[in-house]
Amino acid sequence: MSLRLQWWLAILFCGCSVLRLTAEDCPAYPVSGSVANDPYSISSQNGVLTAKFTLAHSVDQYGYTHYCYKYDAAGQIVEAPTLRVNPGDTLNLEVFNRIDDKDAAKTRIKMAGMKTAGMTMSGSPGQTCGDGGDATLDSTNVHFHGLNVPPTCHQDDVIDTLIQPGSPGFKFSMQIPTTEPPGLYWYHPHVHGFTEFQVNGGAAGAIVVEGMEKYRPEVKGLTERVFVIRQRYLVPWIPGPYELTLNLQPAPATGLKPLIQMQEGDKEFWRVANASLQDFLELQVVQDNHPKDLELIALDGYPLAQTRIEKTILLPPAGRAEFIVKAPAVGTNALFYTTAYSTGPTGNADVPVTLANIELVGADKSRHAENQPQPAIPTAPPVPTTGLKFADLAHAQVTATRKLYFSEEFGGTNGPIQFYITVDGQKQRVFEPDEKPAITTKVGAVEDWTIENRALETHAFHIHQIHFEMLEVDGQPVTDNDLRDTIEIPYWSGPGTPYHSVKVRMDFRDPTIAGTFLFHCHILLHEDLGMMHKILVEP
Amino acid sequence: MYRLRQSGWLRAIALLAAVLAARGSATSQTQYVITNDDPGVSFYTVSQGGLLTLQQQVQIGGFGTVAGFFGANRLNMLDGGGQQCVFASIPSAGEISGIVISTLTVGGTASGSPTDNGAANGIGLASNTQYLYASFSSSNTIGTFAIQPGCDLSFINDVSAAGLAGGQIDGMTIHGNIMITTFTDGSIESFDISTGIPLANGDEQYSTATLTSQDATYPNSIDVTSDGHYAIFGDTSTLQVVEVSDISSGKLTPTIVYTAKKNISSSNVMLSPDETVLYVVNTQGATVSALYFDKTTGKLTTGCTSKQIRGESADWSYLGAMGLIAQTGNGGGLYVAEFGTPSGIAMVTLASSGGKCSLQEVPQSPFADPNSQGLLSIGTFPPRSS
Repeated sequence: MSLRLQWWLAILFCGCSVLRLTAEDCPAYPVSGSVANDPYSISSQNGVLTAKFTLAHSVDQYGYTHYCYKYDAAGQIVEAPTLRVNPGDTLNLEVFNRIDDKDAAKTRIKMAGMKTAGMTMSGSPGQTCGDGGDATLDSTNVHFHGLNVPPTCHQDDVIDTLIQPGSPGFKFSMQIPTTEPPGLYWYHPHVHGFTEFQVNGGAAGAIVVEGMEKYRPEVKGLTERVFVIRQRYLVPWIPGPYELTLNLQPAPATGLKPLIQMQEGDKEFWRVANASLQDFLELQVVQDNHPKDLELIALDGYPLAQTRIEKTILLPPAGRAEFIVKAPAVGTNALFYTTAYSTGPTGNADVPVTLANIELVGADKSRHAENQPQPAIPTAPPVPTTGLKFADLAHAQVTATRKLYFSEEFGGTNGPIQFYITVDGQKQRVFEPDEKPAITTKVGAVEDWTIENRALETHAFHIHQIHFEMLEVDGQPVTDNDLRDTIEIPYWSGPGTPYHSVKVRMDFRDPTIAGTFLFHCHILLHEDLGMMHKILVEP
Repeated sequence: MYRLRQSGWLRAIALLAAVLAARGSATSQTQYVITNDDPGVSFYTVSQGGLLTLQQQVQIGGFGTVAGFFGANRLNMLDGGGQQCVFASIPSAGEISGIVISTLTVGGTASGSPTDNGAANGIGLASNTQYLYASFSSSNTIGTFAIQPGCDLSFINDVSAAGLAGGQIDGMTIHGNIMITTFTDGSIESFDISTGIPLANGDEQYSTATLTSQDATYPNSIDVTSDGHYAIFGDTSTLQVVEVSDISSGKLTPTIVYTAKKNISSSNVMLSPDETVLYVVNTQGATVSALYFDKTTGKLTTGCTSKQIRGESADWSYLGAMGLIAQTGNGGGLYVAEFGTPSGIAMVTLASSGGKCSLQEVPQSPFADPNSQGLLSIGTFPPRSS
């Protein structure tokens, strides 16, 4: 979106937002400069995790519409708790929709004039899950991002599931596969055309599948932290200037930053989810202006075959990274930081942000932490990852190959701007809820997909229900065949230069994922505007 | 000797008088490159070699060109009917101002009907010596204004115009008695303007590329050959797509599609004065192309494409409209609006020989346009004669 349009919308919107102060239904954001505590967490008991969330919203004095998953923790209302489950557990989540934001919907749609962001989006004909009706800004559902669970009603279906305002409650119930990789996942709304609204407002939270220490004993005994990085536009609803938050605490460009307190000499296990709208995060822990070594443990909820040392970890929107951080040395200035990242000539600028200041606490600060003895390396050998889903994918028989590509069409600086993901050979089109699947395959298939970016903007490919194995980047085999569910594909530099691409292996062998689900760009505006299609996996 | 000299002077004076009579009394020989800015219209003088120097900005009121569609001409030049004017639209205010070239002053400003609205994506302009037409992209209306002396305008009427699927009006041009429009849903339509007010010709149709191309594409800007035989459409596309329609019957016929991969969003097109070259601004791809055009057959053949316009990727997101460097021959290249903050004007020269060509950006390019935060529309005066 052009800056000029942003100005116009900003001018118009500011006049509206002042009038929209309402009672605050959501908990207040943590105060800037305070300690960035972990989200409240709920753990499964005896193989079952049962929780009730209420999706609410409010508008603060600055005009931010705050969407929140509220949870009643024994009389205390907390926001977006972390759900902790074990492989094989049952997750029961009941969601109540208590949002009513018609004014904002009308305002945005009138101003933005975007083709697919109409007042309503019709659902798939003849199929409903939940309350049915048209999708509006007030509708919601939940996507369990990264979990390898069925795409069916009351599990991880987002095509037909709608929870309307005032609904008596919608119950999700799913069994976490016994072979589910341990790691960090997340949940967020996924109503086509309106996802960005609610995630912009903060509606997202973490899911942890326990058991990482079995596969990566390096993390055993370490202090664990969960960080959810969200993004909110400074002019509500309008892509452009933005602010990141760390566990809901704003990390403003100027002013007080969130604070992470580490024990001198400690190593900690950080689990970081990029729950932003469109920000590509290049994460670093910086000590006196130098990025520190980070021991990468897992990506997108899947433990790495071998840990590796990185100074910068790139997370596309929706990506997750889990890594070990050493406490900084005494007397140094340390930050949790994301660098600037270029998303291309037509992409939004991803600016450098200090996510938090890191402060040493406890023990004798005259000692130098990095010179201290580290905790003993666990002696128990790691459990082989061969028992996890997708573990043997590298050796599976490939049954089909496909080529897909991202592209964009700009008729002007404001619109219509069309975002496409296309199966090569098919006609470019934006997603419609009642469309036929762009890809049909069968349970048992293993497919190699090459995904190309023909747009002047970086995109983030995501597929529901499964992880995929990285094979190649720009035609060259990768050294680390990581399993991911979201991957960045850099922008095209223009005529005379090649398209960037990734080649990944898709695993459709699990019969429980039979059904229709989605693949799309996880820049949420792009997703809302139709850079998405269906895939049908026939039983 | 004296008599001869006197006779020569008299002939010269008579010749000058004839020229003035033909072009209007307030003629200007100065060549300008003109931009529609925020707010105002900037005039650049053109030195030898085509280099630009900002001379003056004329304030026209309102705020903002609002950016928007690439194919909407927010500037229109009139050099005929005894007047030399520049018309500039102010979409945020719903107004069109006329500027007298000889004095660089505003001759008048007019609005359409209360419902005419181009605030979201612009107001496109086209004129002959009697009427100025304004396409209001938000209200999907075309306003007709009578051109008054002194570059003033008076609103006459407006008509509705929408794509077959409700698409917004985007490009618009006129030639003789025909007006041609494009819509964002891929529709194209022509109108009869012989009586002044546009009257639909009943030929609204989807462009061939819209219907058949696997790649998403729709016609955006339009140019017409001087004999009125062909209408040429620059498509907004994920490729470079140009379409040509035979309009010799006075109506649109199904378009012929020309495609080039590895270019993107060929939204703006313009014929060279001799109509041997079609210039294409790849509005999203940061390049410009020259295609060879056969004006007898309407066929296009491969020409050349520039390197990425300097600075575009770093500082600008889009290219906009174009103006020709020369108003004769193959045009010699083009000036291109570079949308951004601040904006600029690129200058790209064409070298063509033996069916081969090259497009080179001059070392001094781009020229800064400090008055614009989102330049899309640019033009030259005097305009190409057509």
